[in-house]
Amino acid sequence: MAEQIRAEMVANVLSLLVASGDRVEPGQAVVIMESMKMEIPVLAEHGGTVTTVSVAEGDVVQEGDVIVELS
Amino acid sequence: MTATEQPAPVAKKVKVPREDDPRNPNKRLRALFDDGTYVALTADGDSGMMAGHGLVNGTHAVAFASDATVMGGAMGAEGCKVIMAAYARALADEIPVIGLWHSGGARLAEGVVSLHAVGEVFNIMTRASGRIPQISVVLGAAAGGAAYGPALTDIVILGPNGRVFVTGPDVVRSVTGEDVNMERLGGAEPHARRSGVVHIATETDEEALEKARSLTHLLGAPGELESSTPIVDVDLEEHLPESAKRAYDVHPLVQHLLDEDSSVELHERWAPNIVTTLGRLGGRTVGVIANNPLRLGGCLDSPSAEKAARFVRMCDAFGVPLVVVVDVPGYLPGVGQEWDGVVRRGAKLLHAFAEAVVPRVTVVTRKAYGGAYIAMNSRALGATRVFAWPGATVAVMGSVAAVRILHRRRLADLPEEIRAEVEQELADEHDLLAGGIEKAKSLGVVDEVIEPSVTRSALAAAIVAAAPLRGRHGNIPL
Repeated sequence: MAEQIRAEMVANVLSLLVASGDRVEPGQAVVIMESMKMEIPVLAEHGGTVTTVSVAEGDVVQEGDVIVELS
Repeated sequence: MTATEQPAPVAKKVKVPREDDPRNPNKRLRALFDDGTYVALTADGDSGMMAGHGLVNGTHAVAFASDATVMGGAMGAEGCKVIMAAYARALADEIPVIGLWHSGGARLAEGVVSLHAVGEVFNIMTRASGRIPQISVVLGAAAGGAAYGPALTDIVILGPNGRVFVTGPDVVRSVTGEDVNMERLGGAEPHARRSGVVHIATETDEEALEKARSLTHLLGAPGELESSTPIVDVDLEEHLPESAKRAYDVHPLVQHLLDEDSSVELHERWAPNIVTTLGRLGGRTVGVIANNPLRLGGCLDSPSAEKAARFVRMCDAFGVPLVVVVDVPGYLPGVGQEWDGVVRRGAKLLHAFAEAVVPRVTVVTRKAYGGAYIAMNSRALGATRVFAWPGATVAVMGSVAAVRILHRRRLADLPEEIRAEVEQELADEHDLLAGGIEKAKSLGVVDEVIEPSVTRSALAAAIVAAAPLRGRHGNIPL
């Protein structure tokens, strides 16, 4: 099942943990965000293979923005 | 003659549901109760509703079930009388009542008669609110009146085929042209994640009934905690990450804070930045409220404040002590939150805590900042006792952020190369003056710094020492 992993809140992209083609397990962190002075991992819910990484380190994301897409 | 002594509604045309029909209400009720303990309160009939009583894990409870084999479980005057009889019994015996729902709502053919009867059910549910635990299990479609019935109760469980909506897809399509199926309109995704109507969504009917049994036992047989109750301590610190900035999932900490295998989480997927879990501590039912840093950094926001407020009021109404695990960076800022009523809905949490009379104990594990510090059962709101783990901070905001505001001009005038250094010096100074746990202790807003490894026994002792009061109010579905 395709999964779109979205930002829950306004945040800076601190580090990307996956690249296109990587296999991601359910519950695995794909990106570390920085917001509210905290480092917050963003987890995949269902898992799958990374098809698109839509952000780069240092980007600012808005609530609801797609970060990573899985197939 | 009291309501409990009224004869069961007499069916005009008896139609016994087929034994092999999975919608058979007798079958569902028997599955809910301990083996061989179910006793029917009403005769089989075509009222569309069955009721009975029995034991759930040895605890006495009443239950009713829609009979979806008769007119899709639609509720008429006779069926509503069955629910009224179940409630009269539960209220008289002061025991939990469980509703198993599978109904298209009020019986169209009966017209206003059925609307009036459904309204009377809402009335008795509201009058019973906060007096006896009310649990709903939605096993099939629950539309219109059958949607608001569960919604008025304390806890709503949704089975895999459960659907809750005011109007079904056909009406939606004919009125607005919107094309939507039953699942998208009233299944687990909308209600367990987006609307908060449903507290627990399950994969199977059996699991839904099992959750109802666990919750009935937690609320109907809360147990007692005494100073002699043995409490096994476990070190909870291992559930925190090493870096203070790092977010983490609070669930393992909540699990280990409670007795093994005793907990049931409510609203797991809705507003997941706060965790609300019923479980046992030393055998006594308690309600745990914990910020979850993994989601939204653990910030309070509009839905999470409302979710926690309702949970606090439910626990208070049933005399269930509260344990509040605090690690909160603040309220989530932003336009979305303001427009979503974070001030109005956030106020509900302040109100709920300040109003609560049950023993309610706070543990600050890492940090408690700003307005969210006040909201998370602070001393000012009347906490029974406030503990902090070593190294925890209680402050208006982080010290660096604070000095950037307090010393904005001075910092701006400094050469770039020494700014960070001076900022840190000012921050350390600020910590000593305004933040830090010692300061909080001297002010009396934190009672005691405890080691994470004795948290369970400290919580139990604080609960035992407090008066076992119970709030006198209903549990409006906030």
